[in-house]
Amino acid sequence: MLRLIYSQSAEIQRANGEVVDAECAFAAKIIINERTTRACDSFCVSERERERERERHAPSSYCSCTMHCARCLLRVLGQSVYRAARPSLLRSPQHRQVLRRFRSNDTPAEFVGAETAVARDPFAAEHKNEASFAEALRAFAEADVRRRGHVEFIYAALKKMPEFGVERDLAVYNQLLDVFPKEVFVPRNFIQRMFNHYPRQQECAVQLLEQMENYGVMPNVETKVLLVRIFGDKGHPRLPEDPVDLARFSLKRIANDLDARVTVYQMARTDVSRSGEQTAAAPHIVGIQSPEQMGLLGEHDPDRPVLVEGPFPLWLRKTCVHYYVLRAEPAPPEERAEEPYDPERCFDYPLQLDLDLDRDLGDMDTLDVEDLDEGPVYAMCMTSQGDQATLNRWISGLQESNPILGRIPTLFRLRAAAPPRELPAESPTDESLGREAPPEEARRSAN
Amino acid sequence: MSIILGPPSMRLLRSLQHHQYLFCPVLSRSVTQGEYRRPGKPRDNKPPWQKINFSFSKGLDGIRKHLTLLKREFFERFVGPEGKPILEHMLEQNRVVWEFRGSESLKQWTVSSDREIGGQSEVYLKLGRNNTTCFLYGTLRSTPPRDGETRYSGYCSMRSKQPLAAFDRKKHHDWSSFNTLHLRVRGDGRPWMINIAAETYFSHQKDDIYNYFLYTRGGPYWQEVKIPFSKFFLTHRGRIQDDQHPLWLDKINTIGFTLGDKADGPFQLEIDYIGVSKDYAHTEEFAYELYKRNPNV
Repeated sequence: MLRLIYSQSAEIQRANGEVVDAECAFAAKIIINERTTRACDSFCVSERERERERERHAPSSYCSCTMHCARCLLRVLGQSVYRAARPSLLRSPQHRQVLRRFRSNDTPAEFVGAETAVARDPFAAEHKNEASFAEALRAFAEADVRRRGHVEFIYAALKKMPEFGVERDLAVYNQLLDVFPKEVFVPRNFIQRMFNHYPRQQECAVQLLEQMENYGVMPNVETKVLLVRIFGDKGHPRLPEDPVDLARFSLKRIANDLDARVTVYQMARTDVSRSGEQTAAAPHIVGIQSPEQMGLLGEHDPDRPVLVEGPFPLWLRKTCVHYYVLRAEPAPPEERAEEPYDPERCFDYPLQLDLDLDRDLGDMDTLDVEDLDEGPVYAMCMTSQGDQATLNRWISGLQESNPILGRIPTLFRLRAAAPPRELPAESPTDESLGREAPPEEARRSAN
Repeated sequence: MSIILGPPSMRLLRSLQHHQYLFCPVLSRSVTQGEYRRPGKPRDNKPPWQKINFSFSKGLDGIRKHLTLLKREFFERFVGPEGKPILEHMLEQNRVVWEFRGSESLKQWTVSSDREIGGQSEVYLKLGRNNTTCFLYGTLRSTPPRDGETRYSGYCSMRSKQPLAAFDRKKHHDWSSFNTLHLRVRGDGRPWMINIAAETYFSHQKDDIYNYFLYTRGGPYWQEVKIPFSKFFLTHRGRIQDDQHPLWLDKINTIGFTLGDKADGPFQLEIDYIGVSKDYAHTEEFAYELYKRNPNV
């Protein structure tokens, strides 16, 4: 907190023509709106403090009080603030009068410690109303795009609300919520969502809502919209718009292996035909495969075909994308050969034990269900146009890293993207043998 | 999940009031109606004796079926509780309750969608690949029906049928020695909700259901989901209740899966098996606050 004030004070020194400190602006604007001289008289905590601070006039003056130190800053940098303030603030003669008054005050100032800070109210009662409160909020919001110090500003404003008589006014609360910078505090992943990633701002918003609850103010739709804009709609990130990015994201989501790597085999191209319309000459193809899948594909028996199946739907919040799968049917039980463990592979412990152990009823920790074997999945891809030519292009792309694909016949089982009324049980609507890459044709098994 | 249901609750209140005043049961419409009446459909005013229809062959089949069930029920008591030896009943840690291995298994389930209230969603149930899984698929449409009462719509669900003993007596699942629900599913990325309905005593507890979420991953790989029963929260007609209490596992009636995520389009869910298991490492009794949150002034 102190560091924040230091940096702010340094910036006030540096920034010309800009009131950076939040409370300075708040207090400054309120003061400037006040026409009474009493405002500037009682501007500081005590007369002596004012003089002392003016004399010190240094950015490195220490300030250990909390909410009030911004006002101390205003004292400390008194003249510089007004010099640094925007020209609009200095236009009226009252401001100059304020300045003059400020300078001519001869009483010395004391150094302000937290324990001596007394919150004396500098503003006259009849000038505190909703309009001036709103004016102060507006001034702060317009002073800096980045809204530096908005948290302290909002806390101070919340405290000041009863004096201005606006604590039961929903519109004022909405304006106060508007002070938060939007969309900065939206959490970007689930960990940020879970663990209160912006604790000060979130705590501040919660205090604001708590004060509303305290005074019995019911929030309305605008409150909700503001909160959503500030802190995110349930904190969920937006889906990427670009189809290649979307494909990449969703393929990573459905891949079982964190080592899986996404490859973009083809980017979308649009051609302009003679009539001037844009037609997609080639859709994007994004594929994913993990090293384990590559190994499994390498061990696949070339006599058995691999299947390209699709499109399967995948929903991400409200968008539905479709993916295709390269998989193989599981081998029938008689062809499944158990490779005997090589005892020399590991000398530390035996890999295979021939003991006849029985488990007690209370020790069975797996469900007694037969294991469904659906065959290995070798790769997945996503493309906007799922016709056979595109998928062939994908297989050719996969072949570069899995040369065995040249020798394995490929079956395509493509069904209509939207499931019809009654799905036929596993009957492929379009089954045909796939082409392999031309150099491998000589070795293609007869099919 | 906030679905429809304003008028049925009002009707329930009215029928409750009638219950209070009537000590002798009078067969008036408002007392005996308990089913949901679709808005716009005319009331069914037929007296109960006109609703019976006789069929000889069906009657014989029914008698045979029920007598078989009765015989089985009688003799399984000599084996042990629920037909299993006592040691197995006491010590078992995992039990597969529903396993979809043939078309007979689909008969234990009912599917429904908002077509019953006039919406346009469709849902179908069939066996999946190689007849070894159940495949629930369909289309979701969230346009509300134009009956003037319903505000939201768009849901599909699959619910198990209540287990029945001989002569259609209600039987319950006894899962008191387990504490986790274990499923193997393959979804398409949509969020589902699991509903467990336990046996209740009072009539206004009739629509008390314990819910929890099932987020599916999507993709070609199966997903094993383990949800402890302590995480299920109580809802009544879709509205989360303030006074929560843990689910009592000794009399469970049905389990169901509902989809109502307001995303229009096709959906699919494949379930391999549903089982219950006892996780010794899970010691939580209930995941939510039990103290009274809105104290009466």
